[in-house]
Amino acid sequence: MNRALPLVILAMTILAFATMLLVVVPRAQIGSEPPAAGLRAYSPEELRGRAQYMSLGCVYCHSQQPRTPDQAPDGERGWGRPSVAADYAYDSPHLMGTMRTGPDLLNVGARLPSTAWHLTHLYRPRAIAPWSIMPSYPFLFEIKDHAAPGDTVVWLPREQRVAGKVVVARPEAMALVAYLLSLDRTYPAPASAIRDDGYSRVGGKP
Amino acid sequence: MSEHPLADEAFEPYEPRRPVPLPVYWMAIALALWGAVTLWNDSTAQSSGVGQRLAEAGDMTRRHSAAGADLFAQRCATCHQADGAGVAGAVPPLQGSRFLGANPQLVVQILLHGINGPIAVGGDRFDGHMPAFGSVLDDGQIARLVTHLRATWGNGGEVDAAFVKAQRQATRERHASWNGGADLVSLDPAVGPQPAFLSAPPAPSDSVAMALARGGKAGGWACAACHGAAGEGRSGVPRLAGLPADYIAQALLAFSTGTRASDIMGPIARQLDGPERVGLGRLYATMASASRARPELDGDLARGATLALQGDDRRDVPSCFSCHGPSGFGVAPIVPAIAAQQPAYTAGRLAALGRHGKDDAGAAVMPSVAARLSDADRRAVADYLATLPPSPAIDTDTKDAR
Ligand code: HEC
Ligand code: HEC
Ligand code: HEC
Ligand code: HEC
Repeated sequence: MNRALPLVILAMTILAFATMLLVVVPRAQIGSEPPAAGLRAYSPEELRGRAQYMSLGCVYCHSQQPRTPDQAPDGERGWGRPSVAADYAYDSPHLMGTMRTGPDLLNVGARLPSTAWHLTHLYRPRAIAPWSIMPSYPFLFEIKDHAAPGDTVVWLPREQRVAGKVVVARPEAMALVAYLLSLDRTYPAPASAIRDDGYSRVGGKP
Repeated sequence: MSEHPLADEAFEPYEPRRPVPLPVYWMAIALALWGAVTLWNDSTAQSSGVGQRLAEAGDMTRRHSAAGADLFAQRCATCHQADGAGVAGAVPPLQGSRFLGANPQLVVQILLHGINGPIAVGGDRFDGHMPAFGSVLDDGQIARLVTHLRATWGNGGEVDAAFVKAQRQATRERHASWNGGADLVSLDPAVGPQPAFLSAPPAPSDSVAMALARGGKAGGWACAACHGAAGEGRSGVPRLAGLPADYIAQALLAFSTGTRASDIMGPIARQLDGPERVGLGRLYATMASASRARPELDGDLARGATLALQGDDRRDVPSCFSCHGPSGFGVAPIVPAIAAQQPAYTAGRLAALGRHGKDDAGAAVMPSVAARLSDADRRAVADYLATLPPSPAIDTDTKDAR
């Protein structure tokens, strides 16, 4: 091979340039962003739930990044204000996701603050929305004859109950729901926060 | 086996030196320029965005630190009139009112919790609702407002934020409004004789409805888990406290039959029977709770106020308050309160009603109004409504009698 050196140098330069623009500069820009006032760190149980969220692949169908009004009507959908970098200060890795097969979940803890609702939904999404294509997660639950003290029984509509049995949430399910309820970024975003402004701010009011 | 005899195995193909054609250089330069310009544009958009947001934050602070006179014009003049003369038979005057001359604690308490029940001012009797401003005005704002009121119509004297804070602390357990003058006279007898307050008998179905609200039906989902312990709502979940009882019962019926589509409320409402729907309606209608709503949709508050108070003739949008009551507190039995409603819910509901309005024009009033609101208008009016004081608890028994 002749002229190997220039080729290698060129390839390296392109790679270095891309790394610079996509990794180093953003890192310098948002790496030092302090957590937003009002954001709290996850508790150990919520972190266990977060691990469940990752391993069960919720991120393939759910994003965690509400957009500005000119990009999508997320505010009206009840998904919350556009997120800013400071909202993810405790998320490592972040679970922003790319697909929106289901609703955005960054503020689901504010929108649906009921543990009982989430348990039913995870056990059988179709008990709530008959058209739902979200998978059910029966292995996070146990079917028992009687609930032991301390068990959390999952509520089901009358016609979907199994006679003489109760559905009880396993600790994994409780942790996952604790994580979902912790998703609440409804505090006001800091005015100077780094964010994606979309197109709404170019040359005047949205 | 290869039949080619000529191949030199060691031969490496190479390119002869040929100059890069000039157009390619031009193209590369043009692309680089384009990139630079885009980057530059983007960064100015970014910095102008940040500048704009900081200016808005400044507006917000200015709004928060508005002088007492401006606060009075914004918040009180619609009812008490700009000159404080009130409206004969409906809203008591502030001019010459003994309540302003009395201990400043009294006015602060009235502003924090509102009044619900008969009251005597200047020899006339009034029986209306004075809204509670405790959840929408902060200590400093109330202090400036009271100082302004007392300087204009009372005995003068300054009230500071620390005083308001102490007053707020002293009555933090109180959720309901003051029960008319009879309740207030206990704070300072200087306000003169006051009419007696006759409390309504407790509604019979309260305990059943309360159990449903707190524990859900048959171990199902508790209303309070989503709508809040006092029906105050959360971001995206509507406030129920102070909505008309019939409106709530009707909404629950509509959810259960599917006429009003909601994946979340549908399965819940289908578990309820008629008396339970009515009981829950009464329960939430008579609940007093502070506003938890705050502007959160980045809407233009001035535009929202215009829409709510005056409407927009060019777009053929009537004033919201022409139907929803002069303060957005709703009109029983079917027009819901919209003041202090959660903005994400208001905007989302307006969008949903508007889609409905486009499907079958002229069907119901609200869908056709909502269909004429733009996206920015929905956010503006929703955010403005979130700055208003909540509607007072509706006294269902006396309301029915009227
Ligand atoms: C195949 C795609 C898919 C996957 C995987 C998935 N979901 Fe969903 N999810 C949906 C859809 C579609 C909906 C809307 C219908 C419904 O409410 O069931 C939804 C709704 C939800 C909602 C209700 C949100 C709202 O605002 O109504 C929650 C909470 C939720 N999902 C959590 C999860 C969790 C936790 C996981 C992982 C354990 C998960 N989802 C995995 C598709 C998915
Ligand atoms: C929705 C209309 C409304 C608004 C807005 C309103 N008030 Fe009132 N106010 C009333 C009514 C009605 C009463 C009499 C209450 C009763 O009859 O129980 C009252 C009573 C009062 C009283 C005691 C009686 C008197 O006249 O001295 C004071 C003080 C008062 N309001 C101050 C204010 C201030 C300050 C504001 C602005 C922050 C304000 N109000 C906003 C309707 C209103
Ligand atoms: C899992 C959360 C959840 C629970 C539990 C819940 N709600 Fe709701 N509710 C909602 C949401 C979300 C909406 C908004 C629906 C929409 O977008 O139209 C709503 C809407 C409503 C409305 C319509 C409000 C309006 O202003 O038009 C009423 C009335 C209502 N709920 C009553 C109840 C009652 C009564 C219960 C208990 C039996 C209850 N809800 C339990 C989440 C919940
Ligand atoms: C012509 C009378 C009228 C006008 C004008 C009007 N509304 Fe309404 N509005 C209604 C009625 C009636 C309902 C109840 C509809 C129902 O039962 O679903 C309603 C319902 C609503 C709801 C749903 C409340 C809830 O809790 O779900 C919102 C939000 C609302 N109106 C906002 C507005 C706004 C904002 C404006 C001004 C731009 C406005 N309305 C102007 C009559 C009116």
